[in-house]
Parts: sequence; C-alpha cells; structure tokens
Amino acid sequence: MTDEQHRIDYAQHLIEQVNKGHMTRRQLLVRASVFGFSATAIGSLLAACGGTSSSSSSAAPSGSAMPAPVMGGTLTLIGPAPVSEPNPITILDQGGIVMVYQFLEYLIDLNNDNTLKPKLAESWTPNTKLDVWTFKLRQGVTFNNGQPFEAKDVVASVERCLDPKTGSGGAKSQWGGVLSPGGTVATDASTVTFNLDKPYADFPYTVSAGNYNAAMLPANWSGDILKDPIGTGPFMLTKYDTKQKGTYVKNPNYWGKDAQGNQLPYLDGLEYIMVEDNSAQNLQLQAGAIDCQPQTIPQGSEALFADPKLRVDSYPGTGIREVAFNTTKSPWQDPKGKSLRQAVAYCLDRVAINQSLYVGKSNLGYDTFWEPTVFPGSPPSTPRAQDYAKAKQLLTDGGMPNGMDITLTIAKYLNNPLLAQLIQEQCKPANINVTINQLSYTAFYAGGADYYATTPWIVAPMTIVEWGSRPAPGIYAAAMLLPDAVWSSSHWNNQEFLTTFNAYESTLDEATRTPLATKLSQIQQDDTPIMVPFYITQLRTQKTNVYNIQGPGSFYCDCTAAFKTA
Amino acid sequence: MLRLIGRRLLLMVPTLILASVLIFALAEVLPGDVGRSILGIYATQEQVDFLNHQLGADRPLVVRWASWAGNFVTGDWGESPVQKIPVRPTVMKALGNSLVLAGFALVIIVPLSILLGVFAGLRRDSLLDRGITISTLSMTVIPEFVSGVVLLYVFAVWLKWLPVTALPPEGAPFYERFYYLILPAIPLMFLELGYIARMARVGTVQVLAMPYIRTAVLKGLPRRRVIFGHVLRNAMVPTVTVIGSQVGWLIGGLAVIETLFVYPGIGKLMVDAALAHDLPMLEASVLMVAIIYMLANLLADIVVALLNPRIRMGG
Repeated sequence: MTDEQHRIDYAQHLIEQVNKGHMTRRQLLVRASVFGFSATAIGSLLAACGGTSSSSSSAAPSGSAMPAPVMGGTLTLIGPAPVSEPNPITILDQGGIVMVYQFLEYLIDLNNDNTLKPKLAESWTPNTKLDVWTFKLRQGVTFNNGQPFEAKDVVASVERCLDPKTGSGGAKSQWGGVLSPGGTVATDASTVTFNLDKPYADFPYTVSAGNYNAAMLPANWSGDILKDPIGTGPFMLTKYDTKQKGTYVKNPNYWGKDAQGNQLPYLDGLEYIMVEDNSAQNLQLQAGAIDCQPQTIPQGSEALFADPKLRVDSYPGTGIREVAFNTTKSPWQDPKGKSLRQAVAYCLDRVAINQSLYVGKSNLGYDTFWEPTVFPGSPPSTPRAQDYAKAKQLLTDGGMPNGMDITLTIAKYLNNPLLAQLIQEQCKPANINVTINQLSYTAFYAGGADYYATTPWIVAPMTIVEWGSRPAPGIYAAAMLLPDAVWSSSHWNNQEFLTTFNAYESTLDEATRTPLATKLSQIQQDDTPIMVPFYITQLRTQKTNVYNIQGPGSFYCDCTAAFKTA
Repeated sequence: MLRLIGRRLLLMVPTLILASVLIFALAEVLPGDVGRSILGIYATQEQVDFLNHQLGADRPLVVRWASWAGNFVTGDWGESPVQKIPVRPTVMKALGNSLVLAGFALVIIVPLSILLGVFAGLRRDSLLDRGITISTLSMTVIPEFVSGVVLLYVFAVWLKWLPVTALPPEGAPFYERFYYLILPAIPLMFLELGYIARMARVGTVQVLAMPYIRTAVLKGLPRRRVIFGHVLRNAMVPTVTVIGSQVGWLIGGLAVIETLFVYPGIGKLMVDAALAHDLPMLEASVLMVAIIYMLANLLADIVVALLNPRIRMGG
C-alpha cells in the first residue's frame, strides 16, 4: 500500500468511526493531527462528518473576543525559577520548561486542546506498520545565529537526548523501547526518517513539545545553553539572571507568519520573572506588574478569579498528582500489597480533596492517568468513593487487620503538602497512620550520579509526584507505568498492562483502540499502583488586555502569536 | 582610638577563622558527609563514596577546610555545582543588594527609634511614653510576612502608591532604588523599631537618674544642653551596641522579605543554596554575612568609644 493510499484509507476510517458514534469529533481532530493531516485536510474530514470545517484548536479563550493583533510591547510572565541550570536536554520542571520554550522549538507543537500543530516539521506520515515515521521539515528556517535548520540538526538533537551521558529524562521516558540510537536518519536535508523499535501510533507526540527535552538545537551546539542559547524560536534569550529573571527579544528572522502574512512574533520581547512563592506571584499580578501567570494554583488565588482586570482561562487538563505506591517496597509488594494499596484508595474522599485543593474546579480522579473526558476509552465505573468498611476489609485481606503505619514522601511544592495532609486525615479512621516526610522541592528531585537509583521521588516507598498535562495516554504509560518506565515511582511490573499497551499502540483502528484503552485503564484502576485523586484543570491568569497565549499544560506558554492591547 | 581599632581588627582574625570552621562544619560535616547530603538517603554507600572522591570530600577534614579557606582568601570561590555559575560574583551581587536594603532600612529605623525612645524616656510614665512603648512593641510582634503582605496589598495593589517589587527596572537611576525599597523597609522598621526604641528609652531613663545629670540640672544648665550634652551621649552607648548587633540580621536574615518583595538579596541566596545543597554558594554567603556582622560590630564599638572616653582611653 502506498503512503497516499494509506492516508486515504485512514481518513475514510476516521469518518466512519465518527459517523458510527465510536469517536467524537474532538477525538477525530486529535487522531487526524497525530497522523499528520494538515489543517485543511482535517477541515475536510469534519465537513465529511457533517459538521463545520473550523477547528477550535486555536480559538480564543471563552469570554474574550479576540481583537486585531497589536504589534510591539513586552510581555511579562511570572513563575518559579528553574531548579537548576535550564539545560533543555535535562529540564523537567516548570521554570526550566517555560524558560527554554520561548527560544527553542520542536518538530511539532501542541494546541490548547492537545491536537498537534506542525512546527519545524511541516508534515509527517507513518508506514502501515507504524514503525517508520517520515517527517518533512519546514523550509527556510534558520537558527537565531543565522545557521540553517536542517535534517542533520534533528538527528543530532534526537541522538543527543538518547545519549545516556547527557542524562535526558525526557528521552528515556518517551523513547525508551521505542527509538534507539541510530534510529533517526537524515534522508536528505529536509527529510528525517524515524525507524522505531516497535509500532507506535502516538509517536508524533514524542517529538512534539509534549516531550520537552526533544527541542531542536544545532548539530554543532556547544552544550551550554546559557552561553549558546541558539534556537529557532520566536524570541531570543538575551539575559539570564539566575533565580531572578530571563529576558528575551523578538527573533527578527523568525520564520513564522500569521494568517494575514504578518511577521511573528507580534511582541518585541518577553520577561520571565522568577518568583517561587504563590502569594507573591498573585500580588504582583493584582498590582498590574505582571501580564501573565502561566500556571495558576486555584487554592489561595480566589482574589484573582474575582479581579475584573484579570482573566483566568481554563483548559481541560490531564495533569495529575500521582500518589505512587512503590510496589518493590514494604508494604506495597504483591500479592498482599494490592489489597493494601486499594485500602488506601478507598479512604480518599475525592470530592473533599478537589474542593480543598482546587475550589472544586478539577475533575475527580479514577486512580488512572486515563482522564476520561480528554483521552478515549474511559473507565466504565465511577471514581472510587470513600468506603472505610471496604478499606478495613482490604487491610485484613492484606494481612494488616489492625491497620498500618506508612510514610508518604513529598516535595514542599504546589499543593502537595495540603494533599498529603488530607490523605493523612482521611486514612486515620481506617487505622492507617500516615507519616509525612516533607522535603524541599530540590531535595525531593535531587539525585546522585545514578540519578534514578537515588532520587527520593523514584525510590521512596510512597510519594506524591506532580505531572503536568500529557497530550496522549501513551506518553503517560511509557513514562510512568510500563515496566521499564524511567519515571516510575510505583515500579509497577504488570505484563498484562504491557501487552495491552503494545497492542493499543500498534494500530490506528479506533474500533480496536478504544476497548483496549478501556482495558488499560481498568487494569490500572484495579491494581492501583498509583492513586489519582483528581485531574487538574489548567488555569492560566493574564491581564484582560493580553491575548492568544497558546499551549496546553500551562508549562508551555507559547507566546508566538500573543499580543497586548492598550 | 587607633589602638582600639587595631586591637578589634586583630581580634577579628581568630574570630573569622573560628567562624569559617563553624560554617564549614555546619555545611559539610553535621548532616553526614557531603556525598550523602547531595545524593540523599537512598543512595548506596558506593555511590556516596564515588561522589565524595569526585568532590574531594574524602580528604581529611582539616585539609578540606584549609583548601576551602585558602581559596576563599585568594578570591577563588569556585562554581556552583547546581546552577553552574561562578560563586563570587553571585554572592557579591546579592550581598550588595542586601546592603542597600539594610542601609536604607537603617537610615529610617535608627533616627526614628532613637527619637521615639528618648522622647519616651524623657517623659517617663507619661501618656506619650506608654503610647510609644505600646505601639512600637505591638509592631514588633507582627511577623514580617504578615505585615509585608498587608502593606503590599494596601499600597501596591489597592492604592498603587508604591511598586510591588523591591528592584527597579534595569537602567533606572540609582536613586530610584530607594523608591522601590520603601515598602520592604517598612516591615523591617516594624520589627526593629520597638527593640531599638526600648533600648534608647531605658538608656535615657538610666542616665537621667545619674548624679551628674542632677548636678548639671542643679547647676542651672539649660535643659536642651543637659539632654544633648549629657543625656543623649551617654544613653546611646547600649543603643549603638544593639544596633550593631542587628546589622548582621538585617543583611543576612531577610529571606522572607526578599522572597515576598522579589528582591535578590543574600538571605534568599543562602536559603536557596541550603535547600539545593549548593555548598560552595552556601559557605561563601554565610562567611560574607559573618564578615559584615563583625565589621558592623567593629563600627558600633568605634561609635561607642567615641561616645564614651573611658573606652576610648582603654579604660
């Protein structure tokens, strides 16, 4: 079958799935974008399904009519400082991601609704087996030092991440078992072929901004991001004051243009002000000193919601707090560990937790990363309700009839301490005594030369780990729950889950994928290697005169087409 | 006087050496060993040993201290292993910022608190005395993060009279810094005013009860001359000593204020370094604060000596 025939068949398949009611129109948008259909082609698909051809992916947030873009001005963002040097190969924190995202780009970007948007790659197609993906690069793109962006830069960027010496967690988490060193080939100056180790239907997500370590850097990059902040992005990093501020000016040679042919970015520059304390961030917003807070924490931010000078945009999010049971450590090892894990899960009052932490703004969690309103294949049951009788029975089944003492290790970051306290309180009636081991953010994520064998968030018996939105369930699974997942705090080793996951990623047939997705979430929910008390609705606060900041999972904060009115 | 200054400076040398030993010990010895501090409690002993060897932390303690202290004296303060930036310019810049904030706060606090304290002492047990004492002590008990947030909300968010941060935009003239420092200086004033005013009041009351003051009054000296010529001069001795001891805190202990007002001072730098196990940054920062603290006390001793001839003359 030719590539073109493959595309036509897949398009026909998507239309059929929507018309039969097996897929929503939103899911069609997502899958079509993953396959590499252009915006025009997606519009035609939607039209064929009997709807309008407009995509909502870049629509303005509700309640804000978009005025004509205004050129110029500096946009001020506020958020935490990068935990360490913001090296794009190794970053994994909000501060580092927001910092590098302004001057580096990825082959593919993400829209607010998690659909994929061509960026440095103009198009991509898989073979029928889904283990070879061919990417056509955008022509005429240069790095901000004038050097042309070519296929060799893609190969070097990918190989750099795959090199164990660079310690890139993102590469390990998303390409482990999928893409090996040497698998990325420059077919010509503008074509790159990814030869995968196994079929992977969601592969484009792993070279998107969803894999924030996969930023495109020059092949001859020095490795020092502060001395050589070379990227193709809309802005250029001109100054970096550690723990204080990042300053950017617009890239005058940026390749991007808007629909009217205007040069992007509209803004003259950006400033990223680094402030750890949430109250201090909010005060600065209220005082008008800051234009945008990429990530707003609902609790303690009520004043922002009521401030007429600010607009809080919300996006359906797949971000979670993973409460992980380390299944290799006592008391969570199987066979009895499963009952004990479930016992803790039945102690949680998810409604109360959501109210306390998110003022009721988030969705209740199913103890699986499979967020049911965003990802296809939702769990058939409802979220677990608090049930102490069941919890006590499970404790007995797990050999702990008199209860147990457990330690929950957390970072003092975001709302983790409050979540830990709520878990502690809610476990008490079942005689589960939770000791909270609270570490600083840096101590929680610090590690030695063998990072993943030493860092508390991976090796402690029970942890809370904050996960930003992931655009596809496969990204979560590969990073968090597969047996060889690099960021597996649970160390879960479930072969049925692995086999089902491989089958799920080996097909584009949505009629097959959806029941497999449901099965995956069921296995996860039942075995309970992690608890997911809620799915975080993403909130981003900005002044009412700030428009068109894009990027799902507030971490990304794409200001390419952002602008400010007077 | 020169002998006094020379003696104090000489005394600073062993004090600094002792301080450097303590700082070094606290940072590198007490939590276990360096490798363990960095790698955490879950690392294997082999991994800890390997890192200790890489960092030179497996050398004898005295050798490590001597190497660190020697490098410090020669200006080679090393590089932060966490942020990958040189330590010396980072610490000096943060210290400079803290000195500006502390200096500005002291310019407000010292004259105001002495004025209030002396007034209260001169009007002992009057309504004015009680008013000053109660109001300044009340301000002292308000934690700086509470007064800071309230002040920010009222003056920066609501009234918009003052900026919400403590650092002016780049390129702003130097004097504009002081406009930005007004708001963060107020919580510091709240904390220090009551303490220093109380010392000034006690000093004034004590001096007023001295026989030589009674003599001066009975001799018919004008009240103004008695106060300025005799009372103030002698009442200030304990107050100046207290002010000297507070300077160290005003420079190194303002992490809360610096965080709230987004001010890159050395207090926040030390907290960040401690949390990140950034030992070169932490050790250099703490030692610099110790040096400033000693210099401030030296300055206080000189002022006291100028006020009190018996000390000046070596009595």
